[in-house]
Formats: sequence, C-alpha cells, structure tokens
Amino acid sequence: MSAEGGVQYSKIAEIKGPLVIVDDVSNAAFDELVEIETNEGERRLGKVLEVGNGKAIVQVFEGTTGLSISGTKAKFVGKVMEMPVSKEVLGRVFDGLGRPKDGLPDPIADKFIDINGEPMNPEQREYPKDFIQTGVSVIDGMITLVRGQKLPIFSGSGMSHNLVAAQIARQASVIGTQDDFAVVFAAIGVQYSEAEYFRRSLEESGALKRSVLFLNTADDPAIERIITPRVALTVAEYLAFELGMHVLVILTDMTNYAEALREISAAREEVPGRKGYPGYLYTDLSTIYERAGKLNGRKGSVTQVPILSMPSDDITHPIPDLTGYITEGQVVLGRDLFRQGVYPPVNILMSLSRLMKDGIGEGSTRADHGEISNQVYDAYSRAQEVRALAGIVGKAGLTEIDLKYMDVGDVFEKEFLTQATDENRTIEETLTILWKIVSKLPKNEITKIKDKFIDQYYQGK
Amino acid sequence: MAAKGRIVWVSGPAVRADGMSDAKMYETVTVGNSKLVGEVIRLTGEVAFIQVYESTSGLKPGEPVVGTGNPLSVLLGPGIIGQLYDGIQRPLKELSKASGSYIGRGITTTPVDMTKKYHFVPKVGNGDEVSAGSIIGTVQETDLIEHSIMIPPDHKGGKITNIVSEGDYDLETEVATTEKSGQSIPIKMYHKWPVRKPRPFLKRYDPTVPLLTGQRVIDTFFPIAKGGTGSIPGAFGTGKTVTLHQIAKWADSQVVVYIGCGERGNEMTEVLVEFPHLKDPRTGKPLMDRTVLVANTSNMPVAAREASIYTGVTIAEYYRDMGKDVVLVADSTSRWAESLREMSGRLEEMPAEEGYPSYLASRLAEFYERAGRVRASGSPDRDGSVTLVGAVSPSGGDFTEPVTTHTMRFIKTFWALDAKLAYSRHYPSINWMNSYSGYLADIAKWWGENISDDWLSLRSDAYGVLQREDTLKEIVRLLGPEALPDEEKLILEVARMVKIGLLQQNSFDDVDTYCSPEKQYKLLKLLVDFYKRGQQALKDGTALADIRAMSIVGSMLKARMDIKDDEMAKLDQLDIDMQEQFKSITGVKVRN
Amino acid sequence: MTSNSSLEQAIDKILEKTEEEIVSDLKNSKTTSIQFLDDSLPKLEQEYDQIISNGKKEADKIEKQITGSSDLEARNKQLNIVEESIGKVFTKALEQIANAERSGDYSNLIKSLLEESTKILGTTEVIVFTNSKDRETVQSALSQFSGAELSSETIECLGGVKVKSKDGAMTFDNTLDARIERLKPLIRKDIATQFGVSN
Repeated sequence: MSAEGGVQYSKIAEIKGPLVIVDDVSNAAFDELVEIETNEGERRLGKVLEVGNGKAIVQVFEGTTGLSISGTKAKFVGKVMEMPVSKEVLGRVFDGLGRPKDGLPDPIADKFIDINGEPMNPEQREYPKDFIQTGVSVIDGMITLVRGQKLPIFSGSGMSHNLVAAQIARQASVIGTQDDFAVVFAAIGVQYSEAEYFRRSLEESGALKRSVLFLNTADDPAIERIITPRVALTVAEYLAFELGMHVLVILTDMTNYAEALREISAAREEVPGRKGYPGYLYTDLSTIYERAGKLNGRKGSVTQVPILSMPSDDITHPIPDLTGYITEGQVVLGRDLFRQGVYPPVNILMSLSRLMKDGIGEGSTRADHGEISNQVYDAYSRAQEVRALAGIVGKAGLTEIDLKYMDVGDVFEKEFLTQATDENRTIEETLTILWKIVSKLPKNEITKIKDKFIDQYYQGK
Repeated sequence: MAAKGRIVWVSGPAVRADGMSDAKMYETVTVGNSKLVGEVIRLTGEVAFIQVYESTSGLKPGEPVVGTGNPLSVLLGPGIIGQLYDGIQRPLKELSKASGSYIGRGITTTPVDMTKKYHFVPKVGNGDEVSAGSIIGTVQETDLIEHSIMIPPDHKGGKITNIVSEGDYDLETEVATTEKSGQSIPIKMYHKWPVRKPRPFLKRYDPTVPLLTGQRVIDTFFPIAKGGTGSIPGAFGTGKTVTLHQIAKWADSQVVVYIGCGERGNEMTEVLVEFPHLKDPRTGKPLMDRTVLVANTSNMPVAAREASIYTGVTIAEYYRDMGKDVVLVADSTSRWAESLREMSGRLEEMPAEEGYPSYLASRLAEFYERAGRVRASGSPDRDGSVTLVGAVSPSGGDFTEPVTTHTMRFIKTFWALDAKLAYSRHYPSINWMNSYSGYLADIAKWWGENISDDWLSLRSDAYGVLQREDTLKEIVRLLGPEALPDEEKLILEVARMVKIGLLQQNSFDDVDTYCSPEKQYKLLKLLVDFYKRGQQALKDGTALADIRAMSIVGSMLKARMDIKDDEMAKLDQLDIDMQEQFKSITGVKVRN
Repeated sequence: MTSNSSLEQAIDKILEKTEEEIVSDLKNSKTTSIQFLDDSLPKLEQEYDQIISNGKKEADKIEKQITGSSDLEARNKQLNIVEESIGKVFTKALEQIANAERSGDYSNLIKSLLEESTKILGTTEVIVFTNSKDRETVQSALSQFSGAELSSETIECLGGVKVKSKDGAMTFDNTLDARIERLKPLIRKDIATQFGVSN
C-alpha cells in the first residue's frame, strides 16, 4: 500500500454487465485496484482487466447496478488488491472481499499481501505425505487426505457435501503432532443457512477461534466471488507459511465461482470454450487450486477441500472436469447412495486420492493400509458387478462366491461407509472394519494382500 | 539495431507496444520497468504484439519495451541434464535463490553454470576439416551422459586450428577455432539455437527399433518405435501421469526430456524427489542422470507454457544430434493448445472449433514432425532419435474434441485411457479395443531377431482373445455367463487372465513396475499356450470347471509380481507345470 | 380310609406333582431371571456407559464451545478497546493538524502537495480546491504552476489541496484528510504496538 493514492477519473465511456469502461485514462496499470464512486457517494471496488490507448476496462466486484455514465467516478488506487493479515484474523468473519463482517474493526495488519499470490516454485515445494486423520472412515481408509493436498468434493444439488466438509473441518487432525491447526472457510455464493451451518459447527467444536470465515452468500454480489477464494487463500498462506500453522481451506461452492467468471467473460465478448465458460477457465482455476501445498523449509501447510456441485450430477461438465485435471484426486458423492440415506454417500469407485500412496503405510497409518484398501476397492467393484448381474438373472442365478461379494457390498455400505456426523473414528477403527469386510471373502479371493498381513488380520474361515 | 518502444496496451499476458518498427517476428524483448521477458508474435505498422512470459500484474502503458535482437533460444551445452527449467529455460533452482519459495519476475539467470569445469577430450586435431554438426570433443556430463561438443548447426565449416589439449575447461573457454577463407571463428562448449526452428540433420530413417518401456500393454500390445510418435489421451483420474512417469522412468533411451506443461506443481516435485533415488535398470545409475525437466505448471504464466514445448523439443534434438536416443514426454499438449487459444483470443483472431485457432492442427503437425530417427550432420557418422509422447487431456474425456482429433492425424501410436477401467482399478487403464499402434509391422523384425520369431503371431492370438471377449461381453450382459457354451466361457476365462496377468501392471510394486522384453514374451506365450491347451482339453471332453480349478491359473496371474526379470527359469517351470496339470485333468489324452 | 386313602394318595400325588412343578417352575423362573439379570447387567452397564459417554461427549462439546467462545469474546473485546484507542490517537492528531499554525513550513508543504498532484495528473492546467483557511497560502503557491487556478469554491478539509484537470476528467485528492486516510492502515500497527498489542 502506498501513501500516494491514485487519480480519480470521471469520464465513463460505457457500462455493461459487471464492467465499467473508463476513457482518457493516462495512469493505470493492469490488475490495479479501482475505487468506484457512485453519484450518491457510495464506494465500490473493482480491478483493471485491460488498459491501453486511453481506455481502462474495470470489473466492478459489487456489480454495476445503479451506476450512471455521468457522475460515476473511478479512482485507480495505485496498487493491486491486498488483504491485511495478522494472527488476529483468526476467529474473525469477513465478507467476500475480505472486509470485516462481524462488527469488529479492520484487522491491525502485520502485512498487506497481494491477493493473487505468486506461483510456488515447483523446485521449492515439499512433496506432501503427512496423513490427516479426518475421522471419516471412507476418506481415511480409501481416499486418504494428506497435508498440502487439494482434494475436492464433487457433489450435486441437495446432497450432504456440507456435512462432510464440516465434519472433516471439525475432526481433522494429524496423528502424533501438536502443531497449530487452523480452518479457513470461504462461502462462495452459497445460501446463508449453509454458511451458518459451518459457523455453528465450528463454534460447537470450539474451533471457531482457530478459524477464519469469508462469506459471500447467495444474495451478495456475484462478481465478488472472483475475489472470495483469493482473499481466503491469501490468509491461509500467511497462517501456513509465515506462522507455521496447518491450514485446512474449505471453498464452497466453486461452481458459483466459475459462473461469475463466465459472466465477466460474456460481458467482455470473449470467444467461449465449452458451455460458454471462458477458454482460460482451467488456467484460472489452477491459480486457486495450486495455492495448496507445502514449502521446503517452512513449517505449515495449506490443504484445500474445495466443494463443487456438478450441474445435473454430470462429472464431465467443464467445472468438475477441469477441476479434476488440477486437483490431486476427488471425492465423488453418489446420488444413489444419498437417496438410500447413506451418510457420507461417497462413491468410492469414482473417487481417488492421488497422494494417498505416499501418506499411508508403516510409520504413518499401518503397514497393511495400502493393500487392504486396494482389496476392498476390488471387492466393492466386484460387488457392484454382481449386483448388476443379480438384477438380470436374479439371486438364484448367482454362485456362492457371487453371494459373498453381495455381502461385501452390504457390509461396506452399512458398516464402513455409514457413519454419524459426530462419529470420529480412529484409523485403527477404520482399518478394523476394512478387515471385517475382506474377511467375508474366502482366502483365495484375496489377491492383493501379502500373506503376512492375512495371517495377522484376517478373521474369516 | 534493437527496437525501443513503449507499452500502449496490456491485457493479461498480451501487451501491445508502439515505436517497434525495428522489431522482428519472434524476437525476444524485455517488457516494462521490471524487465519481463516477452516475445514478438505479430507486427502491425509500428505496433508489436507481444506475449509476455511472466505475470503482467501492475504493468502500465508508457513503460518501455526493448528488443534483444535475438529470437527465443535455448543454450545448449553440458550442464543441462538433471536440471529443472521453466518454459523459457530458466533453472528453477537459480530462480529460487533470487526470489525464494515463489517465482519472482524479471530475474535473469544462465541456464547452466558457465563457470563449471568439464574434462574435455578432443576428438579432432589441428588441420582437420569439420562441418556443421561435427564432433570436436567430448565431456562427461553425468555418470550416464557422454556429451559431445559439436560445431553449431548454422556454422559454415572449415579447418580446425587452436584445438585445446585434453583438460578441464569451463563453458566460456574457446576450445577450438575454425578457419575458412581467412575468417576464423572461435568454438566454445556451448551454442544457442532458436527453439522454433528444428535442428538440421542429414537424413531420416524409418523407425524400426521398438522403444522398450517395460510396460507390457505398451511394448507387447501397442508398441512405439524409437523416433516415433505416440499420444496418450485420457480423462482425469485415468492414470495418465503415472503412465507417463513410467515411460520416463523405464524407457530404454539415453536421455529423457519431461515437460510438465500446464500441469500440477506437485507432479514435478514428485519427479524431483523420486528420480534421483531410482536406478536405471540397464546401467544401475540414478535416473536423474539422464533426465531434463521443463516445468511450466498450470498456475505459471500461460505464454511460457506455449514456449515450454519448443524449449523441450530443441533440447531433445540437441542430444539426438550426439547420436543418442531421446524420449520426450509432454504432459499435457492440451494445455499447450489452450495457451495458443488464449493468445489467439487476445489477438482477436478468427476462432475455429471450440475457440481454438485455425492453425492448431499445423502447430501440432510441426511439433510431432520433430520426432524421428536420423543420421546426424557432420562427422563421425552417428544415428540418434527423438521419440515424442504427448499426453492429451480431452475435456470431459471426449475424444472427439479438437486437440485429440487433430493429434490423432499426426501420431502413429494411440494409447486410449479409459475412465471405466480406472474406476474398476484396472491400471494402466489403456483400453485395448480403442488403442492402436502403427509400428507393429516395422518392429516385428526386431522382436524376431532379439527375442523370438513367433512374437507377432502370439501377440495376434492374445489380441484375438480380447477381441472375441469384447463381443461376448454383450451377450453376457444380457443373458448372464451361463448362456454361453464352454468354448466361449474359456475365452472369457483366458481374457480375464490376459487382463490380470499381462495387461494390468502395478507401477508401485517393486518387481512389477518394470518388465523386461524376455519376461513379457514368456508371459504372453504362457497365456496363449494355456488357451490352446484349454481348447484342446475341452475338445477332449474335460470340464471347464476342472480347467479353471487348476492351481497353475493362480500362479500365472501372480507371475508378473512373483517372478523377477532375472528368474526366467521360473517362468519355464510354470510352462512345465501347466503341461503336467493339463495332463492330470485330461488323463493321457492330452497332446503337446 | 382305604377308599379315601387311594383318593388322598391320588390327591397327594397330584399335590406333590404340582408342588414339584411349582418348585421346578420357580426354580426355572429363578434361573431364567438370574440368567436374564446376568444378561441384562452388561447390557445395562453398556447403556449406562453409553449414556455417560454421550453425556461426557456433550459436556466436552459444550465445554469446548464455552471456552472457545469466551476466549473469542475476550479477544474481541480487546480488539475493540485497541481500536478505540487508535481512534483517539487519530482524533487528537487531526485536531493538532487542524489547529496548526499556517507558517512557512506549511506553505512549503502546500507547494510539495501541488507539485506531487500535478505530476501525477501529468498537467498543470488544473483547478485547485482547498478550505477557506488555506486559500491564501495556496493562492501564493500557485504562481509557480502555470495554468493552475484556484477555484472559488472551498471544500471541507483539514488542509492541503484537491486538484482537478481543467477538462474535469481527472481529479487527485491530496488533502491532508485523504493522506491521513491512506496512511491510516499503515500506522495503525505502530499505534497498536505502542499500546503493547503485538501480533
């Protein structure tokens, strides 16, 4: 932040959608923060998307409703947008642009940080491999989350993604360490009740004082949503890499973010990619997701659990599709399981944690973890095939082995997957249930586990 | 004379500057007060259109733009191997010394350490005639790489004078001079070459030698040849990156160039952490000693992503010219195409399909055309190859999108990744019905000479089983497996065995991660023999259940993990066991 | 009593039998009830434990919630107090500035403010606004800026100038108020540190 301040321009050439085009601009920079003043003296924030030949295209975060060509003034502030940060942001609630929303004063800034962040040097990253125990069996056992990972939840409208994310936020801990832990929560265009559910859930677990909340709810300006994840991640990076905390960032709902991006792109009349989303959606999303990670020589970590609702439950829709190409796996919620009342309704066959292999095993969880989880994947996949077959030929047409796999499917869903929202299982409890599932099968069906583990843990006959 | 202009317009990575009438197309320029690196991509009158390889946040109209007079080039010389570069050949380790954990802007570094001394061994003497590409000496770059010092490709040739004697020299030392018609040109251990211009060679050969990757589904079913082109498209989560890492790890080439183009940061970190600890199965030396990484991760500036592909392939050609086999892996060409699309959009060019520029296809063709097995220029005679493997990330896993369809026109091996296989944890999830290789016939001779004459026919037999199974699956889906006669049930059983025992490969298993060609051949032969004996046994009246129940089935399925590359006798024993077991279930009737 | 005796015998037998049955029934029911008790005891204990542990969980939760909330509340109060003090410091400072003597130093300040403003706007063809108190100082400084005019309008401010290009397209606010406002976020930390609040 400079004390210089910027020039205010009053020649507005055009207002369209979320954009204001200012004329006769001689001193503005790309990406610069802009303060828009309305006729009534109301102030809004925006940033420069394009500048040159005397024109500046400004994207107004709070929208252009009520702006007029005459009387609107645009002040180019002389800096990019920054977020004031200090340890005291913990326990605070901010709006989608990072301004206090809890009636308390502005944070006394230790630093002002560019909200866009800078790309981490891949050479300076530390490969993530520390297991996070979320207490949710299906995640800990089958789709393990590690510190510094980005693991989104792909959900659909009305499903229980918020419950899952809140449960992770409450329970997430790393076994064997007493390190500082913090939660950064960004609500991006979700209903007030959903945001409130999170706040209360953190409050009830006593975690609110270790949390920072950024709230842009459904009735807040849509374009603000471009900023919300970025201010949230700026705070997360500060807590992680300057203060050494392990930060879990929950971003919900990234679909609303992408829609805001589409709105701006449409207003700029850019050539669209798929489904009207801009061609740079992938690159843009990566500048959010890639801010997860660990750095050499720094204590903390930023772990991201973005939530996105798949339009029409379609995983090939551009938003989940491009997200999946960037994130390190995905937790996919299944409509069928949700309808059957299963919580958490995770479809493990479509889910994946790319970093799991490095976060489990001897020294972090247990030596048999990888093999037992592979075997259960395999068995559950077989169970699904058998169920489909039973739908055609009837149960009578199934072999004895087939029936055992049906059993595996049932036990998996009823005892392993199903869990109460306040049930916090240890990794040992989780692994015990996995062995119970595998023990439904005869030994010769177990092809992915070493004999020594079978001797140790197998309970079947 | 270098162009000097002023910025008039900024939008993301695209900048316009006027006063640039002296600028040349594809000239590199420094942009703004913080001296960002950019490249001229269009000239209109006084105005140059520049793509900037660093973040333009805070850049203002009015700031200066200065031409360098040179096209975007890479520095080629010893010290490249083992490096991690960004898209414009800046070593990321050096960048971190200047700007810490994050990538700063406007930092200049040299791609290799210019002061490091290498032990130079001259290969020519004073008075020897040399031409462009001729090797004048060698240095040991890493334990694995003997690096040839070559006369630059654009050199006119001449007589060697002043060649230094064997000894330790740094890169700036003039190790020789050439004389031609009174003109003398000093030769150093490095030269520069523009990335967008393919390096010349003498002639091109047909690719007839397989590139062995140790991956069974590739080497046995859909092989690629040295100097060939391949593409690996797949939706997210289908194991594209793992497969590419496997190729980079185990391919039998001397040099690997791995380009992370618009992909995850942690994937490059993983390579950096893992490769120094992995040993090349043929030499026992760390894999990092033959690997160069070019990383322009998804969140790094998009224009440098476009350049990274050219930076990588130029480095690959340089090592090819030394007579080495080089594999270049580009993950992902889709992100490269997207950077073309983004710049094209900012240039306001007329878009073709899905917003991609109309020149997408020609750019892809130009890139894949830089693959090949060639006779290098200059003396002595030597052959080298560049094999290009490009990942494609089709949106929504849809193979009809422009990048996939255009790529398919220019490559000969197609490894189609399949989300359904991945969901059922069949890895590598290369779909055997949709994949193909155009090199089968070309490389069959190599297998015949080096492994066995019947390789191609065994491969067709096994592939035939998979094809039959594919059609039978439809019937099973409708009527259940019991509706089939025993001969067809046997096909289902053998197909299952081929899938589990041959096609599937566990890259995280110490034994299974790499499979030698001998082992691949023996596993293949075992399975085909099993099928043939099974057919005969059924004809002889044996029950299918008895065939299924043989203990050999389990041993065959686990052989890929249980039997190491140096234990081929155990595979021969399996064959003997199989004969015995067939004998015992069919009595004396069985014939061999 | 022969006739009777057989009857009695029969009755006795029946009675005996009944007694036996009753005793056995009693015995049975005793064992079953003991069994039942035995069975239900651990179940009861389990339920008891469950209730206790649920209660404990609930209590833990409430305790966590209460300590968490009260920690936060205390912290937030502190934030407010610090903010109040910062506000007081600023008010005081503003008062001092407002009442400062318009001396030679002050006219130098005005001059440098005008220089800065015209440089940023890139022109001296400007209209300058100031408050009634500073009009004279500004007017005399303007002679060095050709084309610059003092507006007849005055503006409400502590001091300093607001400069507008003559075409009205650009304005630069260089009043002391605006400058303090811009500085405020930067110096709040220094003030807070003076109060012994550290981050």
